Amino acid sequence: MQSENGFYGQYGGSYIPEILYSSQQQILQAFEEVKNDPEFLAELNQQWQQFSGRPTPLTFCANLTEHFGGAQIYLKREDLNHSGAHKMNNVIGQGLLVKRMGKKRVIAETGAGQHGIATALVAARLGLECTIYMGAKDIERQYPNVFWMKQLGATVVPVTTGAQTLRDALDEALRDWSSSHEESHYLIGTSCGCAPFPEMVAYFQSVIGNEVREQSVAQFGQFPDRLYACVGGGSNACGLFLPFLDDIEVEMVGVEAGGKGLELGEHSIRLSHNLGQPGIAQGFATMFLQDDAGQLQETHSIAAGLDYVGVSPIIAHLAETGRINMTYAMDDDVIAACTLLLKKEGIIPALESSHALAGAFKDAPNLPKDSKIVINLSGRGDKDIFNVAKAVQDETFPQFLTDYLAAYPTNHADNEEENA
Amino acid sequence: MSQLATFIAEKRQQKPILSMTHVVYGYPSVEQSLSWMERLMQEGVDFIEVQFPFSDPVADGPSIVAACHKALEQKLDVETCLSQLGKLAKNFPNSRIVLMSYLNPMYRFGLDKLAKRAAEENILGLILPDLPIEQATTYQAACKANNIDPVWLVTPVTPPDRLAMLASQASGFLYCVARSGVTGHSVHENKSHERKTKQTSLDDYLTQIKQHASAPMGVGFGLRERAQIEQLIGKADIAILGSALLDAYNKGGQEAGVKLIKDLFQH
Repeated sequence: MQSENGFYGQYGGSYIPEILYSSQQQILQAFEEVKNDPEFLAELNQQWQQFSGRPTPLTFCANLTEHFGGAQIYLKREDLNHSGAHKMNNVIGQGLLVKRMGKKRVIAETGAGQHGIATALVAARLGLECTIYMGAKDIERQYPNVFWMKQLGATVVPVTTGAQTLRDALDEALRDWSSSHEESHYLIGTSCGCAPFPEMVAYFQSVIGNEVREQSVAQFGQFPDRLYACVGGGSNACGLFLPFLDDIEVEMVGVEAGGKGLELGEHSIRLSHNLGQPGIAQGFATMFLQDDAGQLQETHSIAAGLDYVGVSPIIAHLAETGRINMTYAMDDDVIAACTLLLKKEGIIPALESSHALAGAFKDAPNLPKDSKIVINLSGRGDKDIFNVAKAVQDETFPQFLTDYLAAYPTNHADNEEENA
Repeated sequence: MSQLATFIAEKRQQKPILSMTHVVYGYPSVEQSLSWMERLMQEGVDFIEVQFPFSDPVADGPSIVAACHKALEQKLDVETCLSQLGKLAKNFPNSRIVLMSYLNPMYRFGLDKLAKRAAEENILGLILPDLPIEQATTYQAACKANNIDPVWLVTPVTPPDRLAMLASQASGFLYCVARSGVTGHSVHENKSHERKTKQTSLDDYLTQIKQHASAPMGVGFGLRERAQIEQLIGKADIAILGSALLDAYNKGGQEAGVKLIKDLFQH
């Protein structure tokens, strides 16, 4: 979606410290160039295909469709990307841009660790130095991802300020960029931040919706009637929705994290029920969860990838204008949706994507039998093994952990060194 | 002429360089921060830069970030802050207070209201590091209407034409950031290659700014030693002391802070 000078209605823009002006201008210019450069686009498509496995399939779910007895349910399988999530689409694009700009180092923030891993993978492949900022609390919750980032050669920096989650990691990545802008690129993971990041990330992610346009016509002879995507930062939603923006008969539903309840701090609902308020922080204007005095607040979701305090300015604008309908799913509904997909279709969804499932499953029974819905399965759920085990109260998992620990060698000096 | 620039010009008749000392409002408590400001003005600092805390201060380094987060453990209110600062300002007519914050808390308070209330409390300058001049039309108008000054920042990597534009727009004073990075000692310093371009060219950088700026010049970011202040004499009007002062305060309270100021400015 084209912005007007970086703005989408009242959202977006560039609100960055003066020190970052030149680097931002460089990215603006480089992005404008590559959008129209057939050579860059050919390279991008080749990398998407040969490194990440695109195009990803559009999978019909016969059992779920029968189960609900309403709309015909299709999944866009972003979980089948290399690294297991749609994050790869953006990271490949920005990685190629970094090479073109001649920078040697990338910085990224990560919440759940999916963007961190994707960045570390691409940095390894492109020979770039890589520093990942991650909240200390998220590191605790998502250690397996941290482990892989380190194995891939990235430096993972625990962020111990504030709430020690994604928002703080983003602040710290911006601070690093302020010091290192001349040789480093800030490889932001979602369609947030200062211009041109929202537009650029949405552009790279739009491969999702562009594929669905072709696949839907090929597989069922029409565009989908409704699209569903979870909305954390908003990049997978932008990716699925934006290519259909002008097809007004295609309805779009964004699903935010309802968490444990609607009290401030219990959820991550920014775009409905008057829970978020307009604000300007972290480089851009959008709807933020904040108090009356404009201090950003803590959030919660069972899915670490959905608990961002702000949201893409593109999604905020489209929600405000009514083009996208926003809803939310509570933690419990999310686990139920995840379990149902496992049992009915043999697919393991990420908890983030399970929000989109939960939102769609609520509507599916009431939709006409000949209607077609596409749910963006933005990531696979292997990473959530610990959290899902806990949520479904798996009886044998604790025993497994105890036995594993008992057999784990205690002399692990290598890891200590890397942490130092 | 701007009230702030006039004040600076008069003061500069007596001193080769003026001092601006930074205090985080509400750190470690509102009362203690006000007491610290009062002490600083008793000691004769020319300016206090009061930072109203924000949860996500992206242009600040670890010392100031930690102080802001500590301060925000209590509920802070912009209106209360402004009237408390106004009272202080009245008692110390030889010093001035400027207010620094990030955009969001001020945006929520209302930028028009902020300019009006600041002027009423004799706070003559406002610093918002994440509000670029391109997005600031209404804010500039509000400041102008109330005869106070928005303070713009320039940096060593600001392109020449932009530097000329910012310098020509400056009225009260121009905030010249001395180096890349965030305020104070940064965890990011080692990774930065800022050193290549940094100290050697500070003189050139300030000379270049002076060609375009009719407003006074303040220099901040990374000042901790007397030699650095001396280097600025004759090239800038104000030396801005932020994280170094906070670090001293954290170590040894008001006395340690005052000692640092005396060492640096030899008042």
